[in-house]
Amino acid sequence: MKHRLHRRTFTKLSLLSGGALVVPAIGAAPVRASNGFVLSADDRMLIETFAEAMLPTEGTSLKPQSEVPIADNVAHALALLDDPVLEQVRLGFKLFDYGAFLVGFHFKRFVNLSIEQRVDYIHRWEDGIATQRGIVDLLKKLTYLGYWKDLEAARAIGYLGPVSVAGGVPNLGNAPMPPSDPKP
Amino acid sequence: MNDAPPILRVTQPNDIPDAGLDLVADVVVIGSGASGAVMAYELSRDGAKVVVLEAGPYLPSTEFTEHTPTAFETLYQDHGNQTNTTGDLIVLQGKCIGGSTVVNAAACFRTPDQVLEHWRTEHGLENLSPEALAPYFEKVERNLSIHQNEPHEVNYNGRLLLEGAAKLGIPASPATRNVKNCALSGHCLAACRTDRKQSMLVTYLPWASELGATILSGTRAETFEVNGRRITAVNAVATGAEGREKPVRVEAGLVVVAAGPIQTPLLFQKNELANSSGQIGLNFACHPSLAVLGEHASSIYAWVGASITAHAGDVENPLLGGYLIEAAAAGPVSTSSSVDGGVGPDFVDFMQRSKNMQSAVTLIHDHNVGRVYLGDDGQKKIEYDLDDRDFESLRRALRGTARIYFAAGAKRVFLPTTRRTTIESADEIDSVIKSLTNGKHKYRLTSYHPQGTMRMGADPTKSVVAPDGRCHDLDNVYVPDASLFPSSIMVNPQVTVYAMASYIADEIKARG
Repeated sequence: MKHRLHRRTFTKLSLLSGGALVVPAIGAAPVRASNGFVLSADDRMLIETFAEAMLPTEGTSLKPQSEVPIADNVAHALALLDDPVLEQVRLGFKLFDYGAFLVGFHFKRFVNLSIEQRVDYIHRWEDGIATQRGIVDLLKKLTYLGYWKDLEAARAIGYLGPVSVAGGVPNLGNAPMPPSDPKP
Repeated sequence: MNDAPPILRVTQPNDIPDAGLDLVADVVVIGSGASGAVMAYELSRDGAKVVVLEAGPYLPSTEFTEHTPTAFETLYQDHGNQTNTTGDLIVLQGKCIGGSTVVNAAACFRTPDQVLEHWRTEHGLENLSPEALAPYFEKVERNLSIHQNEPHEVNYNGRLLLEGAAKLGIPASPATRNVKNCALSGHCLAACRTDRKQSMLVTYLPWASELGATILSGTRAETFEVNGRRITAVNAVATGAEGREKPVRVEAGLVVVAAGPIQTPLLFQKNELANSSGQIGLNFACHPSLAVLGEHASSIYAWVGASITAHAGDVENPLLGGYLIEAAAAGPVSTSSSVDGGVGPDFVDFMQRSKNMQSAVTLIHDHNVGRVYLGDDGQKKIEYDLDDRDFESLRRALRGTARIYFAAGAKRVFLPTTRRTTIESADEIDSVIKSLTNGKHKYRLTSYHPQGTMRMGADPTKSVVAPDGRCHDLDNVYVPDASLFPSSIMVNPQVTVYAMASYIADEIKARG
């Protein structure tokens, strides 16, 4: 059974769901968090429990998700958003978390579901209306980013990361002025 | 003639006094990307005193990290989070000195003849025939070291695309790129750390700088001063450290607005200028792109090597249902985000096998159904939802990609849906593709090529920009960026933009 949510103001909500949600590299220069955003305890719990369901790394070759600061990485990414968009994102978090009272009739929050129930709930939202699909895709992409931005995690699947400096590849510098267009 | 490499000199906000700057020039160019840089160089070479205003920061290549998330944060518009109003299409644009040319994948195509013919017959652009543009294509190809990939520049992922296409009789070839002695780092989208990609950052901008152009970074054009049919000055704001804003005013006889297909129309809308046709901001197209992954039994490491290595498809027939498939890959953030690998153990398994994935992105000729405008809240809006006609084109592109993958030996294909969708054998291709339906938040769409919001045409009632690049409503204002494309071109647009800007610069020179 599918339950419908009102569309409300979620047209912009999946700002983050396009795939390029960003956070800085480890060791990269810090970027201003102009809106002073701090992940609330509820939001942090949602990110962490969602990641547990998405990334059961135990017994695999992947870096344990518990060793990657996914929620911190997500918090940093959210800090880059404009306030109105951030507000909608957090509203989406709430809808997803508390939606479990009705969607699937769990009568409890998402963060309190078992792993199996969480996976089932995620699938229900994948099959839901556009707003649900947008919200759950946002959460997935936040999780992807929060985890894979970690270079150790990326290297566990064979990705090399930065190579030019380590490999001593020289810079070519600026191209010379075209011969056909000499300086006057 | 001095043989020393030209030096790019950039005035950054912190270099500007608190009282601001008041400059006088022959030409002010807004934007330093593909078209702005070419215009700055060409007009400087003609002896004009040029000032370039770039809203984004200046980062020399030595500051590039080869870490895609960091690049998005520092070099892309809205930190890589620019989307349509629905929120299911990300629109990637560079926001830095050099613009999108710094962060693109370096793929180069001339404008398909069929598109130019369409522009001639439907939009009155008699002047833009393939023959007329050929010298401009040749010039930019020569200046930017554009060449077809050598065999060593085609990685295993690219070879698989070529092999699969060959088995099916689908046209395919190694990609053509503006790269010199490519180091094959695979980090094109994070900007070239070693100056191999011949972006505007290492070519036309330093050349313009060497010829005397003044280039300002972190300086956002805001308002125009207007006298009759002329813009007499551009007012901008330079934002320095700690957000301190400094006014910059540039008085110039000629104004070139090259801020790109999102910012250019917004600037005109904000100033309520040049819109007698009512077309500013309309006709937005973007080449909605989808990634497809194909799982093989052996390792591929698609992200190793050049970012784009080969392409397949009917490139010459964009208006007749053609599509383009480009062998391309980036790191794990892109891999996980481009298709849905599933939830829980499915996702973990998918990522563990990501090194075995053949990878490509599709491009189509989409219709100009979108709109860019300022909302009531003063924020930009990019209104664009996938048109049903374009969805059919996407289905054809997905089908073609899946066929090539299976022909190349894939054992499973992952489609770019927001819920995991796979094709388990070649026999399933048609039924799975047929089951796909258009809708919001159903696909992982990305646009690398926004275009069309300042349509060029001969009829001033139906277009904003005249065939010579000048605004119909203004005597001294030119628009050379991709916003003037009357229709989408399907192929990567940078070469078209370079050539059009070169052409428009010549029109300006001829006008005197």
